[in-house]
Amino acid sequence: MATRVAKELLYDSEASLRLVDTALAELRTQNGPDDAGADVNAGLAGLPALLLRAYTEINGALQTLRQSRTALEHTAVEKLHLTSAKLKEVSSATELAATDILDGLDRAIAMVDELESAEAEGDTGRSGEVRQTMRDELFGLMGHLQFQDITTQQLNYASSILTEMENRLMQIARIFDPSLFGLEVPNTASDQPAVAFDPAATTHDAETRQALVDQIFG
Amino acid sequence: MKFLVVDDSATMRRIVINSLQRIGFNDTVEAGDGQEAVDRFDPSVSFVITDWNMPNMSGLDLARALRARADGANVPILMVTTRSVREDIIAAIEAGVNNYIVKPFTPQVLKEKIDTVLSAVGAA
Repeated sequence: MATRVAKELLYDSEASLRLVDTALAELRTQNGPDDAGADVNAGLAGLPALLLRAYTEINGALQTLRQSRTALEHTAVEKLHLTSAKLKEVSSATELAATDILDGLDRAIAMVDELESAEAEGDTGRSGEVRQTMRDELFGLMGHLQFQDITTQQLNYASSILTEMENRLMQIARIFDPSLFGLEVPNTASDQPAVAFDPAATTHDAETRQALVDQIFG
Repeated sequence: MKFLVVDDSATMRRIVINSLQRIGFNDTVEAGDGQEAVDRFDPSVSFVITDWNMPNMSGLDLARALRARADGANVPILMVTTRSVREDIIAAIEAGVNNYIVKPFTPQVLKEKIDTVLSAVGAA
């Protein structure tokens, strides 16, 4: 859509300038050889070149705009989709981990009731078994907290894309010399501490991925 | 047996250390990145469990650094990471990693891999 509008503007500008050029040529022909006419002619003679230069500059600006738009389209849109997908995955992983932890807590609470009942009946064998099961259950809950490390990596990835986008937008903004409009563009995006992350970090399919590892390690 | 647990996530270090204690390994030391691990490594460390993606020095570079040292050339190294594409796994093997666990993992998998590595090292 933006390209079509830019092209139309370019063609309209070119057509208008050609009309002006033609009109000036006709004017020069009609003025004749008197002195006043000669002065006008001399002044007008430089006008087409001036207008052509203006046209070239407008054309250049439009080319830059088109390139900026294409660069934004190729990088920004795709990366923003990736970021959005990553943030959705974070949300889903958090929800899944919270559900698993709540389920585990429910089971642990039920075990406390069972333990109470076993102890009230004096069934030491059963109470020992329940205690061991409860210990395993509570220990298992700790494993669900691995989502924190994985979602942190996912968020770091999303953050890195936003920082990259910020830098690209600042580069584009600088093309148009914002100082002419009294605006300032910082040289670099806001400073962030160095972080390391796996862009493909996920909580999904761990067993399948582990199977690939085991196959390679033999 | 002393374990060096390396991960930039304090949560993950705690999970791994708790899992080790549950298996029966109570002697652990921890580091927040590869560089810190290199600094903390000494001949008393008999097993290294490391993450891959960490600031300052990655787990892969840590494995290479340890393999280049006389006192780290043979120490068992277990990589625990989210990275799981074939190229990464092969790079880890080439860096000298003895075995590899994909996050998220279960304590059972951790125990199984430690046993596998210790058996292989013992058999070597």
